[in-house]
Amino acid sequence: MFRLTIKNLLANKVRFALTTFGVMLAVSFVVSAFVLGDGLRSSFTTVSEDITAGVDIEVRNVADFGDAAPLPMSTVTAVSTVDGVADAVAVIEAADDAVRPIKANGDYITTEGPPQLAFNWIDNEQLSAFTLIDGAAPDVGEFTIDLDSAAKHGFVIGDSYELFVPDGRVNLTLSGTSSFGADNSTLGAVLMQMNTAEASELFGLDGITNVSVEVAEGADAVDVQAAIAAAIPTASVIDHAAVLAETTAEFTDDINIIGNILLGFGFVALFVSIFIIYNTFAIVLSQRIRELALLRTVGADPRQIRRSVLGEAFVVGVLASAGGIGGGILVAKGLDALFGLMGADLPAYPLILATRTLVVAVAIGIGVTMLAAVGPARRAATVPPITALNGGAEAGAAGSRTRKISGFGLFGLGVLAGAAGLSGVGSTTATVATMAFGVIAMFLGVTLLSPLAVGAVTGVLGWPMRKTAGVAGHMAQRNAARNSRRTATTAAALMIGLALVSTALVVGESIKKTIGSTFEQTAKAEYYLTDDLEDVEFPATLASDIRHSDVVTAATGFTLFEAQVDGVVADAVGFDFNQIESLLDLDMQDGSLATNVANPILVHVDKAEQINATVGDVLTTDFANGATIETTIVGLFDEGAIMTQDYLYDYSVLTEAGIPQTAEWLAVSVSDGASPAAIDALVAGLSDEFPAANIETSDEFRARIVGMIDEVLTMVNVMVALAVIIALIGIANTLALSVFERTRELGLVRAVGMTRRQLRRMVRLEAALVATFGAVLGVGLGLFFGWGLVVAMPPSFAATTAIPFVNIIVLMIVAAAAGVIAAWLPARRAGKLNVLDAIAS
Amino acid sequence: MTLLLDPPNVSGTTVAAASARGATKVYGKGDTEVLALDNVDVDFAAGQFTAIMGPSGSGKSTLMHCMAGLDRLSGGSATVGDVDISTASEKQLTLLRRDRLGFIFQAFNLVPTLTAIENITLPMDLAGTKPDKAWVDNVIDTVGLTNRLKHRPSELSGGQQQRVAVARALASRPQIIFADEPTGNLDSTTGSEILAFMRHAVRDLGQTIVMVTHDPVAASYSDRVVFLADGRITDQLINPTPDAVLDQMRRLSN
Repeated sequence: MFRLTIKNLLANKVRFALTTFGVMLAVSFVVSAFVLGDGLRSSFTTVSEDITAGVDIEVRNVADFGDAAPLPMSTVTAVSTVDGVADAVAVIEAADDAVRPIKANGDYITTEGPPQLAFNWIDNEQLSAFTLIDGAAPDVGEFTIDLDSAAKHGFVIGDSYELFVPDGRVNLTLSGTSSFGADNSTLGAVLMQMNTAEASELFGLDGITNVSVEVAEGADAVDVQAAIAAAIPTASVIDHAAVLAETTAEFTDDINIIGNILLGFGFVALFVSIFIIYNTFAIVLSQRIRELALLRTVGADPRQIRRSVLGEAFVVGVLASAGGIGGGILVAKGLDALFGLMGADLPAYPLILATRTLVVAVAIGIGVTMLAAVGPARRAATVPPITALNGGAEAGAAGSRTRKISGFGLFGLGVLAGAAGLSGVGSTTATVATMAFGVIAMFLGVTLLSPLAVGAVTGVLGWPMRKTAGVAGHMAQRNAARNSRRTATTAAALMIGLALVSTALVVGESIKKTIGSTFEQTAKAEYYLTDDLEDVEFPATLASDIRHSDVVTAATGFTLFEAQVDGVVADAVGFDFNQIESLLDLDMQDGSLATNVANPILVHVDKAEQINATVGDVLTTDFANGATIETTIVGLFDEGAIMTQDYLYDYSVLTEAGIPQTAEWLAVSVSDGASPAAIDALVAGLSDEFPAANIETSDEFRARIVGMIDEVLTMVNVMVALAVIIALIGIANTLALSVFERTRELGLVRAVGMTRRQLRRMVRLEAALVATFGAVLGVGLGLFFGWGLVVAMPPSFAATTAIPFVNIIVLMIVAAAAGVIAAWLPARRAGKLNVLDAIAS
Repeated sequence: MTLLLDPPNVSGTTVAAASARGATKVYGKGDTEVLALDNVDVDFAAGQFTAIMGPSGSGKSTLMHCMAGLDRLSGGSATVGDVDISTASEKQLTLLRRDRLGFIFQAFNLVPTLTAIENITLPMDLAGTKPDKAWVDNVIDTVGLTNRLKHRPSELSGGQQQRVAVARALASRPQIIFADEPTGNLDSTTGSEILAFMRHAVRDLGQTIVMVTHDPVAASYSDRVVFLADGRITDQLINPTPDAVLDQMRRLSN
């Protein structure tokens, strides 16, 4: 029987290749997720090891919430006097991108992609991650830079350079170049070192980041660690392993997110592949039904037939897995390029094909193929021998009772699981798994039910075809409707991709619309000052500097922080209550922005109800720096789009608590009569001082946010494109098989006068119909999913469901056109059909 | 009834609707070469019902296929009306079949997705021309399909399906109808109904029909039988009876 299996495969090379290709693409995506993740993880682990190589013990502050306070410089001395400590050095590290050197020609180094990091220079080679290459270590007024950045950006030893620092700009002279770790694997980051004596001040820090300790030879590291902890009870003291684990974890969190997204899309592609494999096997076996019946007549038992079919699936799976492993490496390279195009260069990483990757690739490649073939194989195996004599019948009924019941059942189950997932079921993993199950169940439910709709839907969609393409359109519509299960399964593969795309479109549109109305209602300020630097804030004095301008009527910064309110850690924001009136509409429900009360705060109405507090109540706030303030509620607000925090603090409270009022962003209002020139001068001054900042009007700000949403949508669409391509291969495959199956019929219509052109058009239009049917199902489900997500989202994010009609219509047209393209080869093949052979067969 | 022996050139009595001169068809190459048609000259008279008979492999189907523009001659020429089909392009042949010829095959005559009436008007729909409604109604009425027009082929009996095929062949009033064993799959009663109708179409409606058959009874419905053996025309019978055809066939196979 195995010989027969192989012969069957070889007899239909194109069909075989197409089926294999679909699975291969899906496996490729899964493999690429692993290759990319493993490679990046390995790169960053190397970096982490380099950073922590000689550090035996590290001493630093930790905070239960908020940012940990820096250590005082005196800690270094305290640590170095502990028994068993060979050396203790201060480590001072600037926030990411807080220090940015300006090139000799005045250009800035872009802040997208790898970060720009500044450290203090550490003389102890074992404790330092850097080695001096050329020149000298930085003295006061000097700095060093890693040799790759020096070469790339043209920094010359001995020259003076301007650098951005949190408090403005400073001039430092380049004293030398350094290399990082064992083999200078900077992964593209710019690494600077400053003199320890001035590093804290330059970096805008009120102390040092941590103390690195080298344990004396012969001393027991565990004992030394305990001794340091006893000497400095307020600090946290950790050993080398913990330092390494922490550093690695910081990097790998981001990588895991990227890897999981890729894996997610890989599994979507696999899911789609199952449909096309299932369909291919189902069609091929129904075409071969007489041959199989003949085998049964001459004595093959059902098990042999089933094994033969599953054997074919096995071979497809093996080849697809092998191809998928190679393809996965290519996809990973392609993603590199894609990230590069978007301005976020991935660092160089080694190519790692872990055993886990290979095992998973082979397991899913073979597993998925065989799983999809089980149904068709079972049906083929049970064909009664008599079928050999009376010829295989075409198609099953569109909707048997069991099919309807299980279809509705699955869909209902899916809706329930999806709803449960949206409202959250414990851990993130459990929630994602529940939602994934819900979505899959809904897809399968719709797939089972969709044959019922094929006739009606293709009838409606086919109407314009009948009108414009005459009898070719008419017959295309009849062909699409003739085997409703086949059409439905083929369309279902496309449905999945389009459902995901239209879900993203609906959610994106809803968010955009919400942002739009938020800006109209809430944002009253004319200008907004923001930046894309995560860890860099605007100076505390900036708002008052801006207010000095004649044209400015109001301005305040917004300082984000974590605080403990009546014992519960919460996100909070501080700003100047006196300025807010003409900047933001906070939609006050009760009280006012009165600042004649000491330590005033505002609470969101929902939160107030939750904690049963009202205007006049006093809440105790513990700040990250240890300060405790009795704060009084002066008002309740209901704005939730810009102020996503529940607690708003007047800057007077932050001053009282000793929290620096460095601003995440600023809002500025200008006077009505201000001359455009004066405003331009203000904006120009700010953009000169903060070149990395965005100084935008509310329209510009909104446009940029909308642009960012569009970018995410594009990313999603690119990823889903893979699933769509696989689905289109499915359409091509199904049509090629249908054309083969209808050879006699095509011969007949050619004999009675259908031209080749009409025949090709008929096949292409059928594909367009199948694709559009899939698109209709997909968009329908996508609208439903999108609605569900929007309802589950906080109203500040997406208030009402908005449908991007134009995009949806474009999507349908593109789907139909893609169907036509997918049908190109099958149509050509149909056109080349030899009439005489066809009618004689 | 006239019996002509070994006529080198068989011609009808009236104007030829289709004719072949020196028609030769060779299949395969070298050792496997088969001469299916060997220098055949034949005319099919307009308004006549001609049957082509011969044993298996005599070339009767090949002759029909080449005359109908479904296959190409290796040598010689064939014309339908004023069209030389031996030099026509593939596209011209398709349009010729659509606009000027009608076909009735042994089986699988109908497009399964189309209803009876859609099958009947298919050639005209393909051409984008409007069927002559009165004529089509007349044809449908004559073949007795009036109550079956909305049915799909799978809902029709074998005889009904062949009647739809006949109706389709007639509906566009083609210059000539080619029928390939049109009753081969039918029981004798149903077969004779179809044949009687074809004869009716020729005698009363002025159609021209060329039919390939190996059934002497079917051939006896024709006005003239042309006999083929080994790719040559060996004989013909005018106004044949089943017995005369059978006699002739027996003589041929000896």
